[in-house]
Amino acid sequence: MKTAVNRIRGVERDIVQMPQAGDIAPYYEPQGNEVAIFEAAYRKRLPVMLKGPTGCGKTRFLEYMAFQLKRPLVTVSCHEDLTSSDLVGRFLLEGSETVWQDGPLTRAVKAGAICYLDEIVEARTDSTVVIHSLTDHRRRLTIEKKGQEIEAHEDFMLVISYNPGYQTVLKDLKPSTKQRFIALTFDFPPEDIERKIIVNEVPGISPEIAHQLVAAGRKARLLKDHGLEEATSTRALVYAANMMNAGLDPVTACQVAIVNPITDDMELAEALMEIVQAHFAV
Amino acid sequence: MSSKESAINDLLAELKQASFVAHREVEQVLPSIRHHGEDVTLAWIDACRRIFDYDREAGKAFIRGSREAEKVSETVLPWTEQALRFMRWRGSWRALEGFMANLPRAFGSLGHAGERRWAEIGFMWCARQIESGNAYFATPVLDLSGRQGIAGVEQINTPAEELFESRKLLLGTYLAGAIRVRNLLGAQAILPWALRGADIMQSGRVRGEAYFRLESEESLALLLEHLPGFRLTDRNRLLAMLLNIWYGGGFDLKESSWSPEKGRPFVESDGNSLFFPAVMPNRDEAVLAVLHGAGHMRFGTFDRLAMKEMFSEAKVDFPDSGPVSWTPIFMRYGDEALRFQLIFDLCEDLRIDFRIQHLVPNYLQRLLATAHATGTRHPESGAYFDLAVASIEEALAATHPHAVRSKRFGPLLDPAATVADAFRTASVIYSNDELPRIADLEAFYAAYLPGRGPNATRLAHPQERRDPQQQTQARGEQQDQSRDAGEQQDRTAQNAEAGDQQDGQQQEVAGHGDSSGTAMQAADRSDAQQRSDASREKGVPYPEWDYREARYKRNWSWVQEKKLAESNMAETNRLMNQYADALKRLKKAIQSQKPTRLAPLLRQLDGDDMDLNAVVSYVVEKRAGRSPKPAIYRRREMRQREVAVTLLADMSTSIMQHLPEGGGRLVDRVRAGVLLFAESMEEVGDSYSIAGFCSKYRDNVSYYTIKDFDEPLSQDVRSQIGGMSGRLATRMGAAIRHATARFEGIESRRRLLLILSDGRPEDYDDGGDRRYLHEDTRMAVKEAVAKGVHPFCITVDTMANQYLPQIFGRGHYMVLDHINSLPNKLPEIYLRLRR
Repeated sequence: MKTAVNRIRGVERDIVQMPQAGDIAPYYEPQGNEVAIFEAAYRKRLPVMLKGPTGCGKTRFLEYMAFQLKRPLVTVSCHEDLTSSDLVGRFLLEGSETVWQDGPLTRAVKAGAICYLDEIVEARTDSTVVIHSLTDHRRRLTIEKKGQEIEAHEDFMLVISYNPGYQTVLKDLKPSTKQRFIALTFDFPPEDIERKIIVNEVPGISPEIAHQLVAAGRKARLLKDHGLEEATSTRALVYAANMMNAGLDPVTACQVAIVNPITDDMELAEALMEIVQAHFAV
Repeated sequence: MSSKESAINDLLAELKQASFVAHREVEQVLPSIRHHGEDVTLAWIDACRRIFDYDREAGKAFIRGSREAEKVSETVLPWTEQALRFMRWRGSWRALEGFMANLPRAFGSLGHAGERRWAEIGFMWCARQIESGNAYFATPVLDLSGRQGIAGVEQINTPAEELFESRKLLLGTYLAGAIRVRNLLGAQAILPWALRGADIMQSGRVRGEAYFRLESEESLALLLEHLPGFRLTDRNRLLAMLLNIWYGGGFDLKESSWSPEKGRPFVESDGNSLFFPAVMPNRDEAVLAVLHGAGHMRFGTFDRLAMKEMFSEAKVDFPDSGPVSWTPIFMRYGDEALRFQLIFDLCEDLRIDFRIQHLVPNYLQRLLATAHATGTRHPESGAYFDLAVASIEEALAATHPHAVRSKRFGPLLDPAATVADAFRTASVIYSNDELPRIADLEAFYAAYLPGRGPNATRLAHPQERRDPQQQTQARGEQQDQSRDAGEQQDRTAQNAEAGDQQDGQQQEVAGHGDSSGTAMQAADRSDAQQRSDASREKGVPYPEWDYREARYKRNWSWVQEKKLAESNMAETNRLMNQYADALKRLKKAIQSQKPTRLAPLLRQLDGDDMDLNAVVSYVVEKRAGRSPKPAIYRRREMRQREVAVTLLADMSTSIMQHLPEGGGRLVDRVRAGVLLFAESMEEVGDSYSIAGFCSKYRDNVSYYTIKDFDEPLSQDVRSQIGGMSGRLATRMGAAIRHATARFEGIESRRRLLLILSDGRPEDYDDGGDRRYLHEDTRMAVKEAVAKGVHPFCITVDTMANQYLPQIFGRGHYMVLDHINSLPNKLPEIYLRLRR
């Protein structure tokens, strides 16, 4: 629909894709000077860290920047069992030969892509160490198994994201890793921008509904300290708007998109529903 | 003159001799009796004479009551005969007095047949026990029947007869309470209520009587339990969350002393706190009421300047300090006081509700919908209710742009309007409008819209213009746009003062209120020990951060490690029983988590299964001419998460306070929480220790190790948990430093320090400078992180949002809305943290 990624549907494609002429830019609404900062970091090829709660637009921001900078974007979602060979690459058997296959990180380093390690804290610490040499002046990737080193392509850039919440008290990045990055802090956008986002993401939603949704979301976020693990995200608001657009009544749409997903606590759900009903009940 | 007439005259003469007063009263009643004929008159006078001879008081009551009885019943003989029956019992004059007083009502509301039955029941009580008969006849017939005719009387009577036969429960004890219970809960509630009362009566007379008067805790509790409606006490957390959502929090919610027989329940405010009743008719009304009450506090009903203006306009003195009574304002209106109060509340409530509408979308619409759903109006005060509804409709219309505001209520919708404006508007309406006068309290209460209520029920605590409340409000509105660090500091300081007061009270409560003898003695003993220990051994010194000089003070706080002297196995067993279900659930939850924790260990040198990926890369690398390590196995076993955790409990005096809603003390929940934590940890298998701390001055910080890392969870440890109690103050920084030091030598990559607290760090020697220990604690947390220990604070102080973010950092603390959730939550939180 909007991005290069969707160009050919249902067909396997290589993960390294240059934006093509004719692609539509991903929609992103700048909240402040993050675009300028990112561009500056890119000019100097410094690695960037995106911090912020779930669903506030970190990934979308990066898609947008990659498009603006006309660089391919290679995304790796990190998980607990991600090893360094999942990033760098491994040997495979082919007939009686062994063949080396580059991992996504190596591919990005070679192609001069922007490599995005999403939720890096989830990965095992030993796998995060491989990025160290890429993130300082060396800009070099060591492929231990092959006994090789790759100087990064001059356009290569590394971006990581993480979500500092209390569920990651024990899973924090090592300070030695953190300080190699330019850090951009994201938060849920201010009201007017959030309204704009909803109207843009869900064509056909009335500005009034967007206004109410944003106001309700703002109130819902106040409950974060009362046992919600995650605050109501912009994404959830967009989902709610989508459900309304698809013909659901506003209260139900908010219930299924905003309230039900984030809590199992009856009382919290009731408080959230109070907010929804206050804003949407007539 | 007939013989009968002469007999009448004889009797009258006799009577005159016996009592001049009685004779005079008979003469007054006589004309109305006379037209029933001579026989009747003779019989009546004879009855007068006999009853008077039997008991002078009874006679007078009979004669006096006769006129009305005759008027309503239009007979004489039936009730005269009934009255004569009282002479069978000794000491029955009081019963007869009640009988005569009730007669007109009995005939009027029950009819002749009903009246006979009513009297029969009474006679049976007189026969059983004369005091019960007195009580029966002294009770107004309308109360007995509950407007349901004779069936209502039977309804009340049947359980009473049963209880008298089986439990010897006297009617006098039972009756008044039973009537109130029926009015509140319906007839079916009487018997269970009374049976319970009879049990209590047997265990103690005073207690039982208090129960039946509906004065004792247990009878109120029983009543409230059966009362239909929305239970605000149980939904405390929801209400607090709603206040937090719409107003940004900062409210003190308390349960009021409302009980069912006090009439309609209202949420009230005194400017400092919101008082909510245990039950309200429905959820909408409760939510509206709480939002409305908070609106009064936020939007200046208690604003000192505005109140002063209003009082001076009413020409009433306004005290310079201390709480203010509203009463003098209303007293000026004399008999019309209730009328004026209603008008004033209507105006002030309108002003407040209109302001709330800007904060809470669709608030007025909801208020209107709830008001319309209320249905019938009280006949006397319906006009007020309707006027209030009309005023809301007008306010609602005024929310649209270019709306025309009426002269009457328009000024109140101005955002700059104050309580004084409400007073002025009310005065105008009072003198112009023809609202009916209200005399009856029930009608008065019924005049309020759902969610509203009398505003002047409590002494008001005037608020200064720039008080913490309004600052919080300003913050609530601005917090998205800007986070001004300076302001936040300011706010913390102000709350610190509030906290100070509170803590002072808590100490007092704990000091005198704790009567659980052994615990106190044990605490005293350990205090004594502390003193001697202190002189013997100063303990381990730690530096302390002084923000004023921005430097550490070397060897400033001294921590002494001790064993908890008291232990209480009985308490432990009690808690184990009480939380047996919760523990079972927790253990099950932990076990169900285990499979994921039995994650396969990949690339092992030995194991019970091949790791396919490892095998492939092994073969590949081998072929490629390298010599890889043969780590090609996978093994399923307990994954070495290597987590070590210390649970550090704040054991300051404040945990001894009683929970505001009853049901024990804070310390009970703390013990339960620690105990469940320990039991769950056994199931989890992580290395853990449990400790408590308290302090008195910088050189006397006590650190009680209840269970060390390598110590098994023995009965001794369990009973020590049961014996945990509060004493002294909270020097948190020193305790964190010591707990951090205790982690040394623990082979574990992840170290977690769970701090369980109920308030801010403080000590006797902090000189009132709250910030000092805050800053020190903040530094202690930083030091701990630097040493690889992650502190996480769990608190039950609802104000904690104001200082914990600065001390522990965002995301490194959790505020429990309610202490009751602590026992269950504590292990859960840990499991979530270690994930």
